Amino acid sequence: MAGKDVKKGVVKGILKLSLTLGCGFVLLFLLKKIVPGPTEDGYRFFPLIGSRVWVWVVAQLHLNFAAFVLGVPIFAVTMEFLGWRKTDERLDRIAYDFTKLFTLAYTLTAVMGAILMVSLPLLYPRFIEHMFRILGPTWWAYILFMYAEVFVCYYYFYSWQKMKDKKGLHVLIGVLLNVMGATLLLITSAWVGYMTTPGGVSETGELINRWHAINTYMWIPLSLHRLVANVVFGAGIAAAYAAFRFITATTEDEKAYYDWMGYTSAMIAIGFSLILPGIGYLLGVEIYSFNEQMGIQLMGGFYAWLWVMQAILIGAILFLINYYLWISLNKMPGGERYFRYVKFLFIVVFFGYIIWLTPHSVALSLEEARRIGSYHPALGKLGVMASKNTAVIVSYMATFISFAIFRMSNKEPTVSWAKAGQLLRALIIVVSSVVVLVIGVYSYMVPSVTRVKVLSPIQFGVFFLAILALYILDSRMYKNARIIGEPKWGRMPERSQYALIGITVTFTWLMGMMGYMRSGGRMFWHVYGIMKDTSPDAYLPTHGVASVIVTIVTLLFFFMIGFVFWSVMKLEKFAEKRRAG
Amino acid sequence: MKAGVLKLLFVVLAINLFFTYIGLYFLPQSESRPPKEIKLQEGISQGELIRLGEKIVFGKGQCMVCHPMKAETGMRAPAIATIGSTMQKEAAKRGISAEEYLFIALIAPSKHVAEGFDDIMPPVHKPPTSLNEGELIAVAAYLQSRGGKVTVSYPGSIKLLKTLISKEGGKKHE
Repeated sequence: MAGKDVKKGVVKGILKLSLTLGCGFVLLFLLKKIVPGPTEDGYRFFPLIGSRVWVWVVAQLHLNFAAFVLGVPIFAVTMEFLGWRKTDERLDRIAYDFTKLFTLAYTLTAVMGAILMVSLPLLYPRFIEHMFRILGPTWWAYILFMYAEVFVCYYYFYSWQKMKDKKGLHVLIGVLLNVMGATLLLITSAWVGYMTTPGGVSETGELINRWHAINTYMWIPLSLHRLVANVVFGAGIAAAYAAFRFITATTEDEKAYYDWMGYTSAMIAIGFSLILPGIGYLLGVEIYSFNEQMGIQLMGGFYAWLWVMQAILIGAILFLINYYLWISLNKMPGGERYFRYVKFLFIVVFFGYIIWLTPHSVALSLEEARRIGSYHPALGKLGVMASKNTAVIVSYMATFISFAIFRMSNKEPTVSWAKAGQLLRALIIVVSSVVVLVIGVYSYMVPSVTRVKVLSPIQFGVFFLAILALYILDSRMYKNARIIGEPKWGRMPERSQYALIGITVTFTWLMGMMGYMRSGGRMFWHVYGIMKDTSPDAYLPTHGVASVIVTIVTLLFFFMIGFVFWSVMKLEKFAEKRRAG
Repeated sequence: MKAGVLKLLFVVLAINLFFTYIGLYFLPQSESRPPKEIKLQEGISQGELIRLGEKIVFGKGQCMVCHPMKAETGMRAPAIATIGSTMQKEAAKRGISAEEYLFIALIAPSKHVAEGFDDIMPPVHKPPTSLNEGELIAVAAYLQSRGGKVTVSYPGSIKLLKTLISKEGGKKHE
């Protein structure tokens, strides 16, 4: 019976994908016959909102779902592996719940992908013809891997119960699923990489070397950045799901489970987000290596103010996660001992946020900045990167301390060197913070190149060393610690769950905005320096317009993912009824 | 349960509206349009040529992305304010005319990298900047006017520019 279910499940998945793709191809064929031909320079126009906005919304929605279905399997299989090795049923359950989510989300990902597949060749035929000419084989590889991924994904999900006693093999299938996902990500990143930092073609866009057109400056760093960001995003969505289930839970057991799920997912999201700036830096270096002007335009040109917006968003995420952790102390027996530190942590995060938000200049563009001066007329050099980097690192340090406090709040160390250990912990925090601050002040006195290439990496290095040292110290000190009481999972006020939802909404908004910036780096080109955008949409909209579109995408995404959450609940109820009947 | 879900929806909507509000009312609003191609009239005056050159330097040419107006610490490329006189001296050192030195600096910049700076400048007659011959001459006139003697003219300098583009401009920027 179980074997039949697996086969049925896999066939269902393949059929759904084939049907979606088939409908897409038929629709494209029919629309090409019905709608008027493209303009001389190769464009058709989407009614009312224009082609650019339409493709922007559809592509970002597809990307959000793709990030979810590629990111979540990474930690689903990790949880399954840990659950198997530690024989922890709860970890296996969370892994299964994650799998349920992304398996259902596949259908919506494919539907959005099919809409994009119809929209692009219809609205931008000349551009798609060029992309196909240069990177054609990768498109067929993409379809092939998509089928392979759907096959493995559905097999992984539907064989969960059947392979209960063959966990090792099932984990291996999960790993294979992630290999497929990573391959798909590499393929799509190659397309974006070619559009932004093209290679392997002549100045007129003739193919010289296909491998060079794939292996561009941006390819690997973009893939790495997306991979980690997908884990962060996927974990964020899982945290939102847990919050949704917590709020709608009817039993204490359910509340306890979803509280734990929300906490675990949120910590994975924040933990992985710590390495994003490093990979982002790598991506930036590659963009600068390809074209210094593009790098400067992205960092300090038209998009300069969107970096302030980025600070607002990441600062909000840090605030919300700290708030969530501080509230979480209430469910820890012994947590009240740490309440007194919360106000200090709040002050640190608050002032860090204020410094981060301080604008560098009031100029709207780099050209304007060159004319009126590079610094803010009233705030002078207060808003430069030297102070911002320092503020960000100190805020992250405060967030890590909130996390560490939560973890140890229901324990008391029993090792003989506990007092010395506590002192050492305080020393690590104080010394690393002072070092970061001193380097921050010194950064004002050196040329920017020294700050960027030497001092900022040292600051981040000191921070990572400090949190590593704190983690190791706490692990040793709290080994065999006296447990004051087990965490009372589920005993959380509803507002803590709104904080979790807030984190995920902000992540989604941030992803939409950064995607827009990355795409806008090409300025007025479909393929930078190779194929010009000559459509009426070939301009960069105001930041206000971009914000409205990012909001529309985010709201649509939450509406659709809400549908996935609701479907999971319905399926569970249906399964329960079937079991009872 | 329903109240909880409604509150959740409200939180999602409120956060989105908050960020939109910041984007609309706290950030400066301006569009960035693609630069228009400038076509020079024959016999254009020197003053007008310099004025157009300045417009290109600050706009389509994107020169100010790397070049500051005045010298400052950590600058990526030489300051514009004195670039005319610097180039005049460099040309004299190499035994070529200031005009030729300038054109080469624009179309094959790797050949004359200013001392103390990295080789980061792209040839500006090629995509993505794609300045046409008239625009290149206007930029050269503006740069010469920054501390040097303006010797380029339109269409007088066209022949030299064309020769240099066919000789040097085809070479790839390494």
